[in-house]
Amino acid sequence: MIRRRRRAVRRTSTGFVLDLDADEIRLVRRLIGEIRQLITDGASDDPKLQRLFPPAYSDDEAGETEYRRLMRDELVASRVAAIDAVESVLAASENPAVPGTNSRVVFDGAGLEALATSLNSVRLVLGSLLGISDENDEPDVPELALYHFLSWMLDGVVEALMTSGS
Amino acid sequence: MQIECVTPVAGAPSTIERPAIDESTEVAPDSPWVVLVWNDPINLMSYVTFVLQKLFGYSLQKATELMLDVHYKGKAVVSSGTREKAEMDVFHLHEHGLWATMQKDGGPNNGGSSGGAS
Repeated sequence: MIRRRRRAVRRTSTGFVLDLDADEIRLVRRLIGEIRQLITDGASDDPKLQRLFPPAYSDDEAGETEYRRLMRDELVASRVAAIDAVESVLAASENPAVPGTNSRVVFDGAGLEALATSLNSVRLVLGSLLGISDENDEPDVPELALYHFLSWMLDGVVEALMTSGS
Repeated sequence: MQIECVTPVAGAPSTIERPAIDESTEVAPDSPWVVLVWNDPINLMSYVTFVLQKLFGYSLQKATELMLDVHYKGKAVVSSGTREKAEMDVFHLHEHGLWATMQKDGGPNNGGSSGGAS
């Protein structure tokens, strides 16, 4: 059986077109919005955020403290900026005729990179929450389907970025 | 640049004269730092390869080799340089969600017997 695998992103002459249905786009918007809130409101020692803010020094406490002091806010700002860039593309493509749906969603290269980073942020938090600690031994929970959807989507985004010759 | 030896060698003509090392000169650069990326079960292999290419300008082949080292050996050195450069590299890797750390080149048990008190 030959079945063409669906891809999340199609490259066209006008940019990168998101090939998702309305439910999927709503889901992505909701998830990155939740991550944005978690990053901006969450306590800095929230275990859910651990993977988003890993240590830079493994055995130098003073260096690590200094790194966090200097870089933590920058990391937060960078993540939020990426999410906002994605959200603005999704908001701009809302279809006013059919509420809750989008017309063609087109990203430029920078926007698509922001989408990659943002999807990865969601995966890092969700993966931590699900307790994914070994790629061959995944927990048997319903949320795993969501995690796999995000993996599939990110893979499509990365493939589009890597074949775009940038 | 002229390095002046100001230490008088008195009464010991056969002593090997060691050059005076002025700590303020930059003859010996700060020992280089290395940036490591560690394997983790969440980041996708394709995504890690993409990030290494994007941040360091590596070819697809080089980035793929490093990614495979991370995946199969548990870690890989992805860049090196001064402490400041390493810190910026780590920051950019963290920005992209990779698990990166930095340390002095050679690891914790490197050298240390060359007599220089610190």
